[in-house]
Amino acid sequence: MNSTLKFERTGDWSCQDILFSMVRLDDAERFAIGSSDFKIYEIDFSAEKPERQEFVGEGHTSYVTSMVVANEMVVSGSYDGHLVWWNLSDRQQVRRQQAHDRWIRRVAATPDGTRIVSVADDMQCKVWDAVSGDLISSFTDHPELTPHHYPSMLYALAISADGQLIATGDRVGHVAIWDAERFEKVGEVEAPGMYTWDPKARRHSIGGIRSLAFSPDATKLAVGGIGKIGNIDHLGGPSRLEIFNWADQSEPVLIEDDQKKGLIEQIHWQPDSNAIVAAGGDHKGFINLYDLASAKLSAQSETNGHIHALASDASYALFHTAGHNRMNRFKLSLNE
Amino acid sequence: MPRSTANSNRAQHCGAEAHHLSRRSFLGTVGMGTAGVAANMGVIETLTSPVFADELKRNQKSVVLLWLAGGASQLETWDPKPGVETGGPYSAIQTDISGVRISELMPKMSQRLSQHTAIIRSLNTKIADHGGGYQLMDTGRRPEPGVDFPHLGAMIAHELAQQDSKVPDHIEMYTSTEGRRKGTAGFLPARYNPMFLTDSMMPENISRLDSISDADHKQRADFRAMLAQQFNHGLNSPSVSSHNSAFERVRGLMSSDYLFDVEKEPQSMRDHYGPTQFGEQCLIARRLVEAGVPFVKVARAWWDSHGQNFETHRELCADLDHVMSALLDDLQQRGLLDTTLVITLGEFGRTPRINGSLGRDHFASAWSCSLSGCGIKPGTVYGKTDDLGNTVVEGEANAGNLFATIFTALGIDPEKEYMLGSRPVPMADFHCPPIAEVLS
Repeated sequence: MNSTLKFERTGDWSCQDILFSMVRLDDAERFAIGSSDFKIYEIDFSAEKPERQEFVGEGHTSYVTSMVVANEMVVSGSYDGHLVWWNLSDRQQVRRQQAHDRWIRRVAATPDGTRIVSVADDMQCKVWDAVSGDLISSFTDHPELTPHHYPSMLYALAISADGQLIATGDRVGHVAIWDAERFEKVGEVEAPGMYTWDPKARRHSIGGIRSLAFSPDATKLAVGGIGKIGNIDHLGGPSRLEIFNWADQSEPVLIEDDQKKGLIEQIHWQPDSNAIVAAGGDHKGFINLYDLASAKLSAQSETNGHIHALASDASYALFHTAGHNRMNRFKLSLNE
Repeated sequence: MPRSTANSNRAQHCGAEAHHLSRRSFLGTVGMGTAGVAANMGVIETLTSPVFADELKRNQKSVVLLWLAGGASQLETWDPKPGVETGGPYSAIQTDISGVRISELMPKMSQRLSQHTAIIRSLNTKIADHGGGYQLMDTGRRPEPGVDFPHLGAMIAHELAQQDSKVPDHIEMYTSTEGRRKGTAGFLPARYNPMFLTDSMMPENISRLDSISDADHKQRADFRAMLAQQFNHGLNSPSVSSHNSAFERVRGLMSSDYLFDVEKEPQSMRDHYGPTQFGEQCLIARRLVEAGVPFVKVARAWWDSHGQNFETHRELCADLDHVMSALLDDLQQRGLLDTTLVITLGEFGRTPRINGSLGRDHFASAWSCSLSGCGIKPGTVYGKTDDLGNTVVEGEANAGNLFATIFTALGIDPEKEYMLGSRPVPMADFHCPPIAEVLS
């Protein structure tokens, strides 16, 4: 690794629960985090000893897997299939509605904050009015069963920076790209290497597309997951990032890393288009910086817990992560 | 666990050898001879009327063992703990038994418990490595140096197989390589070793050679039988009898290939079981027990979910729930469930603690299995674990108790003793009474 940048871990907070989601609430270090105790908390990492303040309401009955901020509200999705709207100012629940028949995997908001998009294991992508909570559209290009007749899962979701495109990615490595206004499929990408189906030794899979991100100009799509696993009892395969010119699928880029193994759970494509930050892990966590010009890892750090959630500041220099029994802050800086 | 059960059972016997022996095993022993290979097993069996009664009682009973290889999670199947730190993301659903809930991943089975199935939630088997756990849960006892204990399938086959059966006695299907471990007859006659299906669901080398016509094959068999009969005239050699028995079974085994051909079933029945390999294997298992095979093991890998436990169980439980329900329904509709015991079991369960890869690790201290059908009191939930699932708090049972329960459900005396030289070896381990509460 020939890097001029490095991740410096500047904060490390342990906890008893597993944190699956986080969203930045202000320009400082105030976040909402979603937990394995089915609750949502506000936490300020700038405090000397960050303490949690619980959001109040009926909330969720399973892991809180994804959150976004839209119109001064936090919208959370959970494995319980519900979307819940929370008022940011007083942390009170505003609305709770059954959104999907199965686990909600990811929630995103359009850049203008008018719509919420969710994907779930009912294999549906649903678009919601961010204010009223009304369902605007539901669509899918993802079969409920894998080619081997087992339940598939719709893990990943991304919205382009201009709000014109939605991408959805599933367990078997299929990505559909949608027009965000007409909800029509405008493209697709295949990343079957993410599936990890083991036909002989263990007869199941463990991977899938876990993260998606459009390039700032929306011409490319980054797909994150895990590569070939020798023993799919564990997340013992290389982290795997594939980048496609999705319109014609020309010159795909594949970057695998065996040093810090596991799933890429989150991808943030930096605004200058030359770099991607990704995070995830196996039983430990990693945060990676990829230089797209050289198609190589240019910086990497780790933490003692799988990272499920990643948030960056406006300058893309400060990153907060949340995961298994741990929260961290990483600073991206020049390697002196 | 009512420890007195074993003593009371033992007290019902006078201790005479005859109570522990069967006519069939007598014939089997005579028949095994040199081919039988039980050279170190000095079995002396006597024919008595109570034994014949047992024989009749056990007649045509069968076992289908659904082996969840690698160790399925009790929290994602039979003993959910929703809402606690160890509970995971899944909810529990109400079953057709008042007050009993199981994982939401088992919706079809949740509506069949009261008709068919007992759950045991209190296994504490202590051994939490794959090899040791498999050995324990497939023999019912800890290994001992120098003793080759028979595995469950071999014991069941030994007790339930008809001596003149034309079909295999003991079949194990395991087409995933990981975790494949062969059950053996141990010190029982080699006849009870499994026919082991690995690369395909069709047994290998049972087809007649194309170069020999069926008429030639029959004539050769008749000629061989005639020579053997002449040779054995006045000799009455067990070895020759055993050879004859083995040859007589050959044509039966050769003609049993149709049992393994799932395409012999109507499409509607194949749809009922579903398209997965596990489904097809269980459909074949039903065909086999219907034809009189006493023991069929269908091993489904690989539940060893150190990473991504919840994804793994969502994937595999959907298959288990559907196929197990289809099998029970099919057996019931054919009138076979009263005589067929369906066991779901693995080598251990999974830790309540969720590890850093969202996995659960090996755990043998407080886990679950289920028994359905023959001899089982449906709708029973036996035993209890603590709120987090870490320990058994009620009705602790070990592998020996489970084996005694299985044998009793089939009408086999779990205290029946095999004689290994001068050493008696009970079918179920010493001091392991059956779990009376789950027996009908």
